[in-house]
Amino acid sequence: MSARRSSILFAIALILAAACGPAGTSGTSGSPGASPSASAGGAASTLVIDRDTSDLISLDPAVLYEFSAVFATHNVYETLVKFEGTDLSTIKPGLATSWDIKDTGSTNDITFKLKSGQKFASGNPVTADDVVYSVQRAIKLNKSPAFLFTDIAGLKADSVKATDPTTVVFSLPKTASASAFLTILTFTIGGVVDSKEVKAKETGGDSGSAYLLDHSAGSGPFVVDHWTKNTEVLLKANPNYGGAKPTLSGVLFKQVPEPTNQQFALDKGDIDIANNLGPEQIAALQGKSGVTTTTADSLQLVYVGMNATVKPLDNVKVREALRTAVDYDGIVKDLLKGNGKKVQGIIPRGLAGYNEATPFQADVTKAKALLTEAGETTVTLDFLVPTGQAPGGVAFSDLAAKLKSDWAKIGVTVNIKQTTTADLLATYRAQKGQLVMIYWGPDYPDPDANVGPFTDYKAKSIGWRNAWDDPTIAQKGRDAALITDPAKRAAAYKDITDYVLHNGPYVVLYQPSELFGLRSNVKGFNWSAIGWAELASVTK
Amino acid sequence: MRFLGFLTRRIVGIAAVMVGVSIITFAISHVVPADPVAAALGDHATDQQIEAFRAEYHLDRPLPEQYLTYVVGLVHGDLGRSIRTRRPVADDLFDSFPATIELSLAALIVAIVVGIPAGVWSAISRGRLPDHLVRLASLVGGSIPVFWLGLIVIGLFYYQLGWFPGGGRIDNFVAPPPTRTGLYVLDSLLAGDLEALRSSLLHLVLPALTLGYFSTAVIARMTRSSMLEVLGQDYMRTARAKGLQERLVVLRHGLRNALIPTVTILGLTFGSLLSGAVLTETIFSWPGLGRYATAAAIALDFPAVLGVTLLAAIVYPLANLVVDIAYFWLDPRTQRG
Repeated sequence: MSARRSSILFAIALILAAACGPAGTSGTSGSPGASPSASAGGAASTLVIDRDTSDLISLDPAVLYEFSAVFATHNVYETLVKFEGTDLSTIKPGLATSWDIKDTGSTNDITFKLKSGQKFASGNPVTADDVVYSVQRAIKLNKSPAFLFTDIAGLKADSVKATDPTTVVFSLPKTASASAFLTILTFTIGGVVDSKEVKAKETGGDSGSAYLLDHSAGSGPFVVDHWTKNTEVLLKANPNYGGAKPTLSGVLFKQVPEPTNQQFALDKGDIDIANNLGPEQIAALQGKSGVTTTTADSLQLVYVGMNATVKPLDNVKVREALRTAVDYDGIVKDLLKGNGKKVQGIIPRGLAGYNEATPFQADVTKAKALLTEAGETTVTLDFLVPTGQAPGGVAFSDLAAKLKSDWAKIGVTVNIKQTTTADLLATYRAQKGQLVMIYWGPDYPDPDANVGPFTDYKAKSIGWRNAWDDPTIAQKGRDAALITDPAKRAAAYKDITDYVLHNGPYVVLYQPSELFGLRSNVKGFNWSAIGWAELASVTK
Repeated sequence: MRFLGFLTRRIVGIAAVMVGVSIITFAISHVVPADPVAAALGDHATDQQIEAFRAEYHLDRPLPEQYLTYVVGLVHGDLGRSIRTRRPVADDLFDSFPATIELSLAALIVAIVVGIPAGVWSAISRGRLPDHLVRLASLVGGSIPVFWLGLIVIGLFYYQLGWFPGGGRIDNFVAPPPTRTGLYVLDSLLAGDLEALRSSLLHLVLPALTLGYFSTAVIARMTRSSMLEVLGQDYMRTARAKGLQERLVVLRHGLRNALIPTVTILGLTFGSLLSGAVLTETIFSWPGLGRYATAAAIALDFPAVLGVTLLAAIVYPLANLVVDIAYFWLDPRTQRG
């Protein structure tokens, strides 16, 4: 037998021997000896989450602005202040024990006192210099989330100073909202990085962004173990974490885009949490032993924008008629199968300033009367609709068909034009839409993140796209953002949202929910509407 | 010498194809009525961010200038930066292509190992039950949608029976082998890592069967028809008259001649496997080029789409080149020109 033939036969024998070994699964089985998670404690105490993580670009808190990265890194970096659990209305201490807002005349200065004894995963102490470095680094890098610091909070590199090792002072311009700034600090861009470690990893003046792309330098309950592109992100427990130590030794985010695959893997016990399930998968999982399903709020709003300069949408009564004719209950019950809530204001449930009023529900008589008052009996409009699934798991095309049917009952004909979201946005941004269906989620968990875009024409956001220029309500929005007293602020937003509800160019259709499937032994998983869960308190 | 000339002509041809493909793809990706900036930056982007993005990707320049910039980069080995992943496209392709090659090769092996014997069996059993079974299976294989088959296969062999993993390239808690080729099976063998080898082989089975079924059907039908043609030739009768065993007649004299059209199909099949991988990879969470291309197309990530297209423009002619070289071996007449 030739040497070549021998080696081929040997290779085949090796392959057969390997393939005939004990069957494994794609899930929690397998030898921990050589596994990447072995260092994180192995399969038994590692939480496995199936999720479509194709949006990942970076795990650097100054660069990332994608949902998957926000979820993962929220558990890696600590912030000065934070929201706890699912509550997005009360700011709690994080790395800072206290903060104080002082009007200096030209600026609003916010002074934070840091908690003592906090350490990064490297063992370096968390100092005021680290906070200053982190903020200045984000401003310098000027990546996707930087506008939260520079545009919303009006910060410049010299707006933040360390006055002693445990004291940091931010100077905000008087035009910026201190309340909104505090909520921005709870977000991932507010994550404090270990300046000593990051500076040591800098290459070519990149502020360490190449290193933090797939490594971490934070003080949170977990650290980034590895990110294998298009495959998985593994976090492992941070032994130097200053808070209550997580019982999990690690968290594995698997890139699994197909909801059906997530459903199968969860049902078989190969994973612990399925993160992208639709109503069909949830229905299939309900009643299965060892599996629980849960829903959580999101902060998105699915709405139809009405161009306020296109006739007859320039008439406020026509816009009110369109709002009045829609069968919102039918959308939530029949199309979303309950996977969403009837919300009609521009601030979603869960944020301060949420307005519970839902005055519209398929009132054909009233809608027709409004059209008659407006002098319009038959109306024809173009209706721009994105392709794909709307938040909540219903096809945009199904939503559009429902609305077309509802509006036909009052004599309004819409010509549905379905296109990609990118194409739709180009038209919408150019103020060239008539009726446009799309959704919006706030950039930070503060009512100003919705009220500004929806009411301020000059912000060149949603109000501008719908050509709705109402300087009075825009100014009220700007004023409300600057109010620091919570009760007064809530009252101001009630006034604004009531006005927009009947005068604005929007038909807010619903606020979607997020669906999760969990193994029954997973406890303590509470999804925050801003887009993360605190995994340190999860057990399995 | 003749072979060298042939090879040179083919390589020049491949270069010409690449230039043509780059111009056409570049033109198409830049004239589609959709804005990659809107796709990349989404609903919340400010005018300043949009302008900065256009400048970064040279989208504010005239189209010929954009193409020239692209070609200059290409000559220097720079395929541009992906709009979606923000990484160099070459790095993305380097990460995802081996997974697709591994899957496509496995599917091709399925197609050859199952398709050719099935075709021969069907031909020599013409009109009898084995022939009917093979033809029926080929008909189903040629018409069944890959995404549907993938879901059924996962549902049955992973979810119901638990025989094979449902997705991915390797078990959650098994370390991938050290990267040498990017092909997990080969790298596991090279590293002598039996655990990784077992896991990566098991993970290959369902996607390779799914992706390979269509090609198996095509190859089985092609082999059957060319075998039927060859079986009726005079030289086959002569071989039998010489007293050769039927097995040798069929395999040595029949199959070798019948394989020429099948080999042609194999080259084309490899190309179709790459395109079929788009759906298979999505269903099986396979981190390959198909899934990368799908995500790139949805995000209007034109540098990535261009990169994938150029890579495909190399792989298709290369596969056909391999087929042509196989002709030299299979059919001595081609060597005489």
